[in-house]
Amino acid sequence: MLAFDILIISIIFGIAAFFTGRYAKETASILSGVLLILIAAFSIMRFSSYSRGFVSQYSITISNSIGLYFSVGVSGLTDALLILTGIVMLIAILITDREYGSTFFGLEMLVEVGLIGLLISRDFLFFYIFWELVLVPVYFMIGRYGRDNKDSISLKFFVYTHIGSVFILLSIFTLYSYSITYLGYYTFEIGPLMGIVHSLPAFELGFVLFGFFFGFLVKMPSFPIHSWLPDSYYSAPYPATVILAGAISMMGGYGLFGILMEAYSAIPLWVLYFLAALGIISIIYFALTAMFQRNIKKMMAFASASAMGFVTLSFAASLIESAGSYYSVKLIEASGGMFQIVAHGLIMALVFSALYYISRNTKTDSVYGLGGIYREAPMLSSFALIGFLASLGLPGFAGFIGEFSIVVGVFQAISWYIFFVIFGMIITASYHIWTAQRSLYGPYNESLGFIRDVRAGEFLILIFLVLVIFLFGIYPNLIFHNLVNYANSIFGVIS
Amino acid sequence: MYIYGWMIFISPLIGFLLTLIIGKYYRKWSGAIASFFIFLAFVFSVITYFTVIKHPIYNSYTWFYNIDFGIYIDNLAIVMAIMVSFVSLMIHLFAIYYMKDDPNKHVYFAETALFTAGMLGLVISSNLVLLFLFWELVGLCSYLLIGFWFFKPNATAAAKKAFIVTRVGDLSFIIGMSILYYSLINVTKDPLSIPYLISNASSIAVAIGKVRLGIIAIFILGAAIGKSAQFPLHVWIPDAMEGPTTVSALIHAATMVTAGVYLVARLFQVFLYAAPFAMYAVAIVGSFTALYAGIVGLVVNDVKRILAYSTISQLGYMLAAIGLAPIIGGVAVSLGMFHLVSHAIFKALLFMSAGAFLVAMMDLRDAKQMGGLWKRMPITTTLFFIGSLALVAFPGTAGYFSKDPIIFASYNYFTGSPSVSGFLPFLFLMIGSLLTTLYTFRMFFLVAVGKPRSTLAEKAKDPPLLALLPLIVLSIFALILGVWQAPFYSFVKPTLDLASYTVSVPTAPVYITTMPIILLAIGFFIDLYIYGFEKWKTWDISKSWYYKLVKNKFYIDVLYTRIISERVILPLSAAFSGFENSYNASVNRLGSDTVSTGSYFRRLQSGVFENYVAVLIIAAIVIFIIIEIVELM
Repeated sequence: MLAFDILIISIIFGIAAFFTGRYAKETASILSGVLLILIAAFSIMRFSSYSRGFVSQYSITISNSIGLYFSVGVSGLTDALLILTGIVMLIAILITDREYGSTFFGLEMLVEVGLIGLLISRDFLFFYIFWELVLVPVYFMIGRYGRDNKDSISLKFFVYTHIGSVFILLSIFTLYSYSITYLGYYTFEIGPLMGIVHSLPAFELGFVLFGFFFGFLVKMPSFPIHSWLPDSYYSAPYPATVILAGAISMMGGYGLFGILMEAYSAIPLWVLYFLAALGIISIIYFALTAMFQRNIKKMMAFASASAMGFVTLSFAASLIESAGSYYSVKLIEASGGMFQIVAHGLIMALVFSALYYISRNTKTDSVYGLGGIYREAPMLSSFALIGFLASLGLPGFAGFIGEFSIVVGVFQAISWYIFFVIFGMIITASYHIWTAQRSLYGPYNESLGFIRDVRAGEFLILIFLVLVIFLFGIYPNLIFHNLVNYANSIFGVIS
Repeated sequence: MYIYGWMIFISPLIGFLLTLIIGKYYRKWSGAIASFFIFLAFVFSVITYFTVIKHPIYNSYTWFYNIDFGIYIDNLAIVMAIMVSFVSLMIHLFAIYYMKDDPNKHVYFAETALFTAGMLGLVISSNLVLLFLFWELVGLCSYLLIGFWFFKPNATAAAKKAFIVTRVGDLSFIIGMSILYYSLINVTKDPLSIPYLISNASSIAVAIGKVRLGIIAIFILGAAIGKSAQFPLHVWIPDAMEGPTTVSALIHAATMVTAGVYLVARLFQVFLYAAPFAMYAVAIVGSFTALYAGIVGLVVNDVKRILAYSTISQLGYMLAAIGLAPIIGGVAVSLGMFHLVSHAIFKALLFMSAGAFLVAMMDLRDAKQMGGLWKRMPITTTLFFIGSLALVAFPGTAGYFSKDPIIFASYNYFTGSPSVSGFLPFLFLMIGSLLTTLYTFRMFFLVAVGKPRSTLAEKAKDPPLLALLPLIVLSIFALILGVWQAPFYSFVKPTLDLASYTVSVPTAPVYITTMPIILLAIGFFIDLYIYGFEKWKTWDISKSWYYKLVKNKFYIDVLYTRIISERVILPLSAAFSGFENSYNASVNRLGSDTVSTGSYFRRLQSGVFENYVAVLIIAAIVIFIIIEIVELM
């Protein structure tokens, strides 16, 4: 019930934000701050002693005859992702330029409604509605406020990700039509429908799995269905980039771990190996491509995709690993992947908000356009450096816990192919450090003139993110414990 | 009681925060604050020492899943903690003088305090993952400090190189942990706990197989090679000389490069019970590096780089000493650790006196521009001379008691070894001993005797005596440390599964024990002839192939930068990026073709947001009504 209340409140806030006029930024900040506090309070109340499955379940009957209920439920994973959503959206609103006007803030609040809705829905139809609800505002953010060829880029973003969504919808309808056969009643409920996946006929099984994987992997994004990523990240205004990196890619990860993992027994082994290969290819391909970018924003877009490769890899590897004697490895692998989603979102929010201030203050975000800005803006450069270091997976920051758990568990599944993963990590370290050296340190690029450092309020935003990332890095058990319990309840064995 | 152990690394962490915050407003206090907290760490280490001599401290909590965090302090760790905090304190005190005019010195002192905290945490952590966290913290601080003078392009490039090269080693560590974790998950609840690993190493070897344990050990050795700058990952450390000299002293003596050797000593039992190739790799990597770095050190003119190569070489001795264990037993760790401690002391001394030279020389590091400094800076040069004597293992100094036993032990290894391959460490280490003398006295003669070869050298003056006080303290230890040789050996001996045993100072036949001293004399006279009497000025070997080979460091750096990064990684990256561009373009073309056929529907797209919202709401209402009608029927 509580989760449902949060959704209702977020909808009210979302509508309210459109009509705030001159004080749009203040209102939206306060509203999303209130939502974050509500989510935090909810997490403390319901998840400090979480043991398994879904809590805070609630269901409203819409239509009995076609089996349509609006049912909600929150698991350890969704709770972690709700926290991520709250933080990322708050940051996105806080770094929005106030001149964009109340429409932009309303769109941002609408994204938050969509994200909260899709996370807590335990019903496929509403899950899908909220899933689509996220896309529309982002499309307008890029199309209206973006740069460089924004019209075609926003259209590409929308069409590309929408094709993914359509496949999800087709899978949902297939499952729905089979629910009468296997369950005896029509339903859109996620739990029962994922339970029947393994008994589907071969063709339908393949169709359903393909639809889900395609839809979720587009969002991650994974190689080779990532073409929307570089353009959209580059063209989007910085708040929208934060949303893309922190929230949109999270949707893909949630699709894998929150939806598909419930049907883990139905996924054939070769598909899992194929997915693991896609994950490894994503890690290396995006890392190497990022290395060649000369625009930091674009580089970090690829870095983000490379980090999400770890999530794909961990999903596949954790399912490949047997549930027998290596059960603990399976659990740490899956939990590491889920933790990586959260860590990646937070770190990308930090990276892109630091980059936003840099590009606002210097009017450029290319590596060679900057140079030595530490001299003029030491605080800002330090935050950017912390973002880069966290992004390359340095211990002490949240990203390390995720990547470490994935790598430490992955050997059982892919054995010596682990070298490819490690190679990707070396490349990742190289280009992050190279970028820091070129843009932040070295001799000052005098043509930039005087650069202002961060103001007090901006400092607070960045330090808040750094502290959260640091907290999750040194005390991961805040959510890691719940993720392990969630994975344990899905895999159904008590360790 | 545990709290004192925890405070060993927490107090410098507090120092880091306070230095950063208070130092921002009161620059001149930053050095004192940092030094005070390092001093606290030293005090806590000493207090903990008195607990540890009774029983080791082990205190741990769950970190995430089945990975713990905590402290484990035994004899080995406490010796290291005392050494690190003491040497770091001396360096901090000298840095108050050395960095007195730097506008960013609060950042400097905060980072060195964090650096020390990282190293102390690494030393006492109880779990490999926590150790790895501190391991990377140390790497990060070295990155920040090497690039401390961020406006120098060389400094930032060196910092980048240091970070990436050590990162290669660190990832090898992760692979090692990955295999270890997966192998042991069915054996124990907490596979990466250090006390568990070292007290059950022999049963682990049985459970998972000696060969697999050996492979794990090799990967962990890879991490040590990266951090301790061993061949072939040594390339970062000579460049790292671009940072402030006190940072070099910290990196070389106390806080960074010793971490690799310490890791191997820490996991000694794992290496020992693994398949023999693991320990042999340790011995060979160490002894070969000792030889290699000694050769390269002969042709370098930059004073700090000579010291850097000598560090690489001496670290090779330490690692080689530990690698000798299969034949000579548990004393190997004692040998390596004693050399580590004595090296830390005399290398800190050498670097800080070099730092004093560089203050006088306006940071001109070329030894060929110096000369005659003994007359102009008598106290500093005397301290430098004491450090050099310890480095070449002059009888009576600390180096003599710490390094020569390693050579004797390698002789015992050779005679006890069943195959002829046991000869290599002995050969390398013995030649390395001659090379040490050659490059050390070469440097010393170039710096200290003869006539000044630049105007800066003519005007050089000693720094104030107060600033040199930490150096004097270190020089006293560099002279008398040998007194504690035997007690030290028995204090840090590793616990093995065998019954208790005693360790003794290695002995060798007299023609072996006198050999290093003879080589020392030979090296001294060669240098005296060439450099003492300035014969080198009339020489020109710069055209010869062997000079070029050595001067280019056997082309290892070229291999990495020119071949691997520029001919392999960058083209690969360019190819991937080019593929990405054309792939993206083809997707775009696909999209634009589709859009042009669909332009028939263009009239529907008004582009006004409000219209879309209206359509959305109307459609939702229609769907809802349809559903309700169906319901009613």
